[in-house]
This record gives sequence, C-alpha cells and structure tokens, in this order.
Amino acid sequence: MNSEEYLQHREGLTTSHHDWSMIQVGKLVEGQTVVKVIDPNSYKGLTLVLPLPTCHSDANSSVEDACEVLLKHGISSAPVYDAQRNTYTGMFDYSDMMSYILLSLKKMDVPAEDQTIGMRELIERTNNSQNVPVKMISVAVMDPTGNLIGILSQSFVLDYLANHLSEFPQLQPVMQQSVEQLGLSGSKVLSVNGEAQVLDALLLMSKHSVTSLAVLDEQGVLLGNISMTDIQHIMKDLRSSWLWLSCFKFISNIRRKRGVETGEDQYPVMDVNLKSTFGYTIAKLQATKVHRLWVANDSGLVEGVVSLTDVFRVLSSLLDS
Amino acid sequence: MVLDLDACIDSLFQRQLLAESVIKEICEKTKELLMSESNVVHIKAPVTVVGDIHGQFYDLLEIFKIGGYCPDTNYLFLGDYVDRGLYSVETMSILTCLKLRYPDRVQLVRGNHESRAVTQTYGFYTECMKKYGSAQVWHYFTDLFDYLTLSVVIDNMIFCVHGGKALELRSLFDSGIKQQTNVFKELFADEILIGPCYSLEKPLGLSPSIHTIDQIKVMDRFKEIPHEGPMADLVWSDPDPGREEFAVSPRGAGYTFGSLVVEKFLHENGMDHILRAHQLCMEGFQVLFDDQLSTVWSAPNYCYRCGNLASILEVGVEGERHFNVFEAAPENERPTAEAQRTLFSNGIPTSLYGNGVGAGAAINGVGGNDTTASGFLNPGGIDSAQDTIHYFL
Repeated sequence: MNSEEYLQHREGLTTSHHDWSMIQVGKLVEGQTVVKVIDPNSYKGLTLVLPLPTCHSDANSSVEDACEVLLKHGISSAPVYDAQRNTYTGMFDYSDMMSYILLSLKKMDVPAEDQTIGMRELIERTNNSQNVPVKMISVAVMDPTGNLIGILSQSFVLDYLANHLSEFPQLQPVMQQSVEQLGLSGSKVLSVNGEAQVLDALLLMSKHSVTSLAVLDEQGVLLGNISMTDIQHIMKDLRSSWLWLSCFKFISNIRRKRGVETGEDQYPVMDVNLKSTFGYTIAKLQATKVHRLWVANDSGLVEGVVSLTDVFRVLSSLLDS
Repeated sequence: MVLDLDACIDSLFQRQLLAESVIKEICEKTKELLMSESNVVHIKAPVTVVGDIHGQFYDLLEIFKIGGYCPDTNYLFLGDYVDRGLYSVETMSILTCLKLRYPDRVQLVRGNHESRAVTQTYGFYTECMKKYGSAQVWHYFTDLFDYLTLSVVIDNMIFCVHGGKALELRSLFDSGIKQQTNVFKELFADEILIGPCYSLEKPLGLSPSIHTIDQIKVMDRFKEIPHEGPMADLVWSDPDPGREEFAVSPRGAGYTFGSLVVEKFLHENGMDHILRAHQLCMEGFQVLFDDQLSTVWSAPNYCYRCGNLASILEVGVEGERHFNVFEAAPENERPTAEAQRTLFSNGIPTSLYGNGVGAGAAINGVGGNDTTASGFLNPGGIDSAQDTIHYFL
C-alpha cells in the first residue's frame, strides 16, 4: 500500500473499529486453547487448536491416534510443530489423508464383507510412503515470541464479520449487491448424480481438489450437498459401509441423524437464489455453519456456488480497489 | 362407488393399510374439501391441539385414548404427520379419513415435512415404496399436502401455525428500535424487495410480509412449499428467546424470531397467544416470551430413542390452556404382535365400499399394483422393521 492508502486505513486512537480491514487478528482468536500432542515418530509434533477449553495430552501418539483425535474434536487440520527446531513446519490436513486412504480403498476393490472396516485398519492398509498433498485453509496466529496463540479460520472471521457488520458502513454497498451481480453464478459447478456411489463422489473431489460437490437429480435439480466433512463423520462412527451407498441416500442419512441429535430438521438443500444479496448470503453461511451455499435459479437448477473463500475474495477485492 | 369411511377408519385403527385405490379416492375427496378452506381457518374452543407426530402411529392412538376420540373431541393437528416414524402411511391415512369424515371437528395444518423434497429425505417416500411397491401413494399424499391450510385461529385469540412467524417487512422499518448488533435491517432491506421467490410470484404490490392475518389469507398456498418466502417462513421458523428481532435460521429455511416480533404480531392482530410445534421438547411442551408463545410436541420418545415426553394442549371455552403430558405407548415395543392378533380375530374383513364393487375393482389391480394388491397376508411373517403389506378391501 502506498502512503496515501495507508493513511486511509489508519485506525488512530480508538477502542471501536470502523475500518474492517484493521481488526487485529489476535482479537479474533481470543478464547482458543492451544494443546500440544507430541509424536516422536513420523511427525515431530502435532499442535491441536481447540475452540473449547478442554485439555488433552497424549505422549507417543501415532498418526492413527492423531487422526482419531482430530476426528473426535471435529478438527480437519492442525499445524505441524517441529519440537527440535522449535518452529511450525506446515499443516496436517486430515481431509487430504482421508482422500488418499479412500482412493487406495477404491483401487483395492474391497469385498462386501470387509466394507465395515474400521478407521485404524484403513490407515494400516494403505501405503504410508506416498506423498499427501497439503492444502492451506487456515492461518496460524503467532505472538511476538513465536508462540502459536490460535488459528484463524475462515469460519471464525465470517462469524465476527456477520456479528459486527453494522459497524462497517463502507461494506453496505457490496452487501446489497446480488450474488449474480458479484459474478458468483454462471460458472460450472462440480456435481455428482444422486445415484452415484459415495466413493465415486470422493474420487471426483480428489481429482478436482475440492471438498464438496453438489448432488443433483437427472434434470440437474439440486438435491443437496456432499462434502468431505460428512465423510469424516461417518468414519468417526465407524459406518464405513456407507461409502458404498448412493450419494442421495448417504446425505439423507446424514440429515436424518443430525435432525435427531439437534431435535430440529434442516432443509435438505443449502442454497441461495441468484438474486439473493451478498449480505443475506453471509448471514445464511454464518447461521447454518456450512462452508458453502449453492446458487440456484428459480427452477432449482444449480448455477454457481458461494464458499467462504469466495466471500473473502470479494471482500479482499474491495481492499485492492 | 360409495366410500365407507367408517370401515376405513376401523381398519386403520387396527393398523391395516388401505388399498392404493382407496388412498387415491380419499385424497381426491379431501382435496375438494380443503380447497374451500382459507389459509387462516377460524375455529372455536373447546379443541385439543396436537403437535408433531412423525409417523408414530401408536402414540397417535395414545393421543386419542387420553384426549378422546373423534367426533367427541375436536382436534387441531399442527403438521409433521409423516417422516422418521415407522407408520407415516397409517398416520396420514387415518388423519385424512378423520378429516373427511368429520370436517368441522378435525383441522389439519401443513408442517414443513408435508413437502416432496423433505419426505424424500426423511423417510415417508421410502416407507410408501416399501409398503406399496411404488411411489403412487406418496404422490397422492404429497399432492394432498399442497391443499392443507397454513394456520388456524382459535376464538380470535390464539394463532396456531406449524413453525412460526414469517418475516415482517414493515416491522423492521417501523419499529424504530436500533439494534447495535442486529444487522438484519441493513442486510435485508433490499433483500426483501428483490428477494428470490418474490421476484417470480406476484407483483410486489402483494406484499410478501406477514404483518397481519389478512396478509396470510391472500397468499396462494396450493403448491409445493417454496425454499423461501412467507409460506416457507410459516412452516420453518423458530422462536429465539435470546433475541428480539428476526435472524436467518440455522435450519437453512425460515427465520428465528424474538420477543419484539411476537409482541408486535399479537398486538397488531388483537390476539394473546401464538401456538406452534416444529421443535422437539423434552418435557413435551415449552412456554416462552412470558406465556405469549408455546410449543406443543406430540411424539414421545422421538424416533424411538430420544426419551422425551410429549403433550397435547387442551384449550377450554374460557381460553384456558392445559398441557396434557404423556409418555410413549407401550405398544411401540410390540407392534407386530398386536397387528397379528387383531388381524385374525376379525375374520374376513368387510368391504370398504358400501356396494362391494370397489373391492372387486381393487383386487383386479385398479390401484396399479399387481403382486401386492392380492388382499392376502404375506405368509413370510412380519418383522418389526420391515412390515409386509396386507390389504383389506
């Protein structure tokens, strides 16, 4: 930023924030507890960041244990900490691990009687020496001495933004633009037919490096959404036989299960209309806690998607202009 | 062909399924009846109000046992008759017959589960396929759902709906209450005017906001519940005691609404209570906002595992409200043994058509099912999770 732009963004002495781009990240991750899990073997150490103040320590954990802990706490990625060099070396993303495992499963052609295989066995059956690609979806927040104080995820930032939107009047114009106007529709959407198997959906997700697919019927009408997170949940409950179900049956099972747990059934499709405003879309993303909303036209046909990444792309383009 | 409703009802009370052709007929006739009902039906107390049933047929029988049978007791059902439970077909069949038989004593309101998209996900479609071998019965019932009313008013004092309050356009601008953290006003101002389904339906002169009861009355309800809009709001919304205004719902449809919304609605319409269902209550019911709103939930031990109580709400002529709380029916443990006993103790079943002609027609496969419409019990036996079909004509 040149000096003129910098001056515009200068907060000055104030206790309330008026420029949304100047919110300190440290403030956003307040309340997170950082827990360390040390593994002397494959990974030098895994630091798990938990949003709740629970404590967990487990020396000598293996990759299998680490995966189970991640699953149990519902975290999909963790920064990898090298205890010897006292530095963070990267992110361990569970979904990458899962894609890799399940890809191997598909190639292995698992017979029906083995289809109730447990999570640990899955990892054991695969070849550990293969490279697992790593994706960055979170940012580690450090204090001046290099200690990790929290992880800034997209959901965190979205939550903050949605709750404090009225404090940032300069965002009002973009909030009132429609999803269509912001160019968030009209792109090809990766999808799978409701009758295809879950494993096929997984292959498609891996092939295109996405974490979610729209589930459509023959006419292309949106039936729902299948994502890596859903698949992780079934692994957690050791229902791996669900991998061989049709995508529609699978996502229906997920919905039914969630409805009983919360006592409230959700709408089968998480979407917004082409004409819905950006502000409404953000509010719906925050309220439903999904990572993306499909964009549908009036006939229910999918025409695009708005993910958390898209939201931040739109917002950061405001910074550039 | 004269339909013998009493015979249908008797069969259903014994958990015997009706033939597909009979279902078709009762749905056709009930649609004709419902067509002339307003989106807001006005009734008088005394009436017993029932919340979500979700295919828990034995618990519906329990409700009749403790609340009284039709037509001795007036009933108002608030929707969610199907999905999740094992007997959505029997539940919907008997309620349809009762409505047809006693139209002024039984009111059926539409819930969010009375929808094609939802019933394909949450079980009703699957149950129809299993019990009838085709989706035809599901089509008959989901077409019927399009005709169910959206709300009922008791004695001009109690507004009854399945979910809750629909988004009010004007109250947001008129309320004059600045909510610091409530971005709703800023975010939604234009959304309401150029919102998704509103742009297609009617011109904006037909206001999409539900400010008064009169605005509900002019809506076109005879269709599948849209993703968004006032009709979706009425069946999907939930109260939020932690808020004062509206917010987007975590369910992905409808909104959550708070205390000020409730107060304003009751005040503007001259009523004193909102009665709804839609949310599981461990105690069977919940009262909120200083007794201005209650939730009644009528499916005990929901999904046969939540361990919750259920209730029905008895509204008296003086407007007094009493929650009659009950537990799951003991028959839920042994449904098939019960069915078998009554099946054989009745001997040859009577025809459901007065002149017997319909019975013949159904046997010949008018309903469209060849193998299963034989009218005979499958000799393979019955198991609790996958009941075989037995038709009585």
